Amino acid sequence: MKDLAVRLAALDADASAAVQVIAYFDGLVEAGAGLQSIVRGAAVLAGCPARLDDPARRVHIRMLPDGAAAAKTPDDDGWPGAAAGTATLRLERSGAAGPVDAMVLERAAAAARTVLDRTRGRAPVTDQPAMVELLVDAAAPADARQRAARLLGLTAGGTAYAMVFHGGEIRILKGDADPPRGRAGIGPAGPILDLPVSHDGARVAVRFTAAGTDEDPGKTIISYAELGALVMLTQVPEPGAVPDVRILEQAGAPWLLPTLHAVTSTTSLRAAATLLRLHHSTLQDRVAQAEHLLGWSLRDPDGLLRTHLALVLRRLHRNPVSP
Amino acid sequence: MTAVVPSPPPFDPELGAALAVLGEQLPPSFTPEMIPLMRQGASVMDTFSDDDLRRDGRFTVEERTVPGLDGDPDISLLICRPTAATGTLGCLYHTHGGGMILGDNRSGVDMMLDFAEEFGLVVVSVEYRLAPETPHPGPVNDCYAGLLWTAAHADELGFEPGRLIVAGGSAGGGLAAALALMARDLDGPELLGQLLICPMLDDRNESTSAVQMEGLGVWDRTANRTGWGALLGAAAGGPGVSPYAAPARAVDLGNLPPAFIDVGSAETFRDEDVAYASRIWQAGGRAELHVWPGGFHGFDMMAPTAVISQDARQARFRWLNRLLNA
Repeated sequence: MKDLAVRLAALDADASAAVQVIAYFDGLVEAGAGLQSIVRGAAVLAGCPARLDDPARRVHIRMLPDGAAAAKTPDDDGWPGAAAGTATLRLERSGAAGPVDAMVLERAAAAARTVLDRTRGRAPVTDQPAMVELLVDAAAPADARQRAARLLGLTAGGTAYAMVFHGGEIRILKGDADPPRGRAGIGPAGPILDLPVSHDGARVAVRFTAAGTDEDPGKTIISYAELGALVMLTQVPEPGAVPDVRILEQAGAPWLLPTLHAVTSTTSLRAAATLLRLHHSTLQDRVAQAEHLLGWSLRDPDGLLRTHLALVLRRLHRNPVSP
Repeated sequence: MTAVVPSPPPFDPELGAALAVLGEQLPPSFTPEMIPLMRQGASVMDTFSDDDLRRDGRFTVEERTVPGLDGDPDISLLICRPTAATGTLGCLYHTHGGGMILGDNRSGVDMMLDFAEEFGLVVVSVEYRLAPETPHPGPVNDCYAGLLWTAAHADELGFEPGRLIVAGGSAGGGLAAALALMARDLDGPELLGQLLICPMLDDRNESTSAVQMEGLGVWDRTANRTGWGALLGAAAGGPGVSPYAAPARAVDLGNLPPAFIDVGSAETFRDEDVAYASRIWQAGGRAELHVWPGGFHGFDMMAPTAVISQDARQARFRWLNRLLNA
């Protein structure tokens, strides 16, 4: 018997192929097929590997055109794709999608979204900004916020916390959920109706995050709860104008900031050297040079505190209050 | 009292979706008047060229003409031999499917070549005459004549006579089962196994699965009546049908080579195939039975990429591995 893919490939890229693609994915959805079946269908009908990725739900499926599941390979931005809620369905094919590919993408993505919503809970907050805005708005009526929480898959009696990402995106997570990766501030967990407080905390915390690069060393995720009295530094009107921050900005040596971060975030020079992957003696040379550039000591607690405060103020200067 | 027709088991989700696409080209039912049309429908059956069968030089391909049974016309055997295989070769003697009315000795042979590549087997596929032009016993006698020739020429074909397996799907599964019965009864060649893929075994066509699946899936009760009617004429379903035509009619299923039987739960042949395996066990024989949930007739050939089709195929490889290598 000639099989499905062979027959479909033999069809012209015309209305009859489209009808068959629609019939196939409608059939899958009606029969309650799972995500693997849908991605497999896309790969078989398009004749190339297909993948579904939903980082928010940790769903990653990749199928080959012979129907076999396969390990994930690096992404290629050039592949044609279609959004399925928070997930993306892509065909691993270079160039623009042909008419049949486009139909496969559209129908498979719609089918995948249906299954994701049915089997993996409602789509998480990222694609529902209006609900999130409502949840973190202390001025909104409590019952409207409770309804928004339900729609986002949160239980009325449960706890939740807000995350504010460096780009300004807000996410709400269940109290016991691990935070997703990225550069973000985390607000304190609490009852649903206290989410505005959590959001305020997350907005403060994100200002203390760094890119995690040599140019901007530091932690990429900061919890409001761990800041303590450092929060008071947000009261400084112009952190960039603080003389110690200016010294950091003007020092010019590319190794300086990573070195200062390592020295202030570890408990010994030996640990700092390990963090920097430097030899102990090399780091000692750098510390001496840094002391010369800064004009204060890096080997006593007062000097370390002064350095630490300067680094924090520099981050606050680089991460101004969002509107 | 009203007869209650039980509702059919649902199709597997992927298979049901494939059927929604394929159904237009392949109606579940067909009647005798549709036989010529079905034979023309090249879209239904695969066709393989010699080049396809050679698989980039991994097989040699030849057609041999050999004598028919007891003065019957000569028959043609498609012989595919692996070029790179080492060690002791076996042989798959293949009887193709097509409801006794369709197909040729290349139909379905690609699956046999897959087995042959994995296990080092010569594939011999017989071109038997089709019903209704040739009613029973012509088709099965052609198959048996080819089997006798193959067994007698094991040396020339390069396989070990003790490693001869009969294999087929659908009507070809029924023919392979009949060959095992004939070889037992007529002092024919010793067979290592019988690989019966969704076999067509029972002309009575009245099991619960046949009734349940009427008008659904692939090869429904009406199509089955067309096939058996072509082979047996008015005798179909009546008394006195030979077990070599319909192996389910055999009174004795003892002393048969080990059988592999698979079938879908959503097809006409489910109950007769399950019964055949059960009767082999009851007769003290060896059989392995797989009933794949939600499978329609021939599902793994029509939708080979579905996960259940992959599993069904792997089960055949595993059986052959135990049979040949254990």
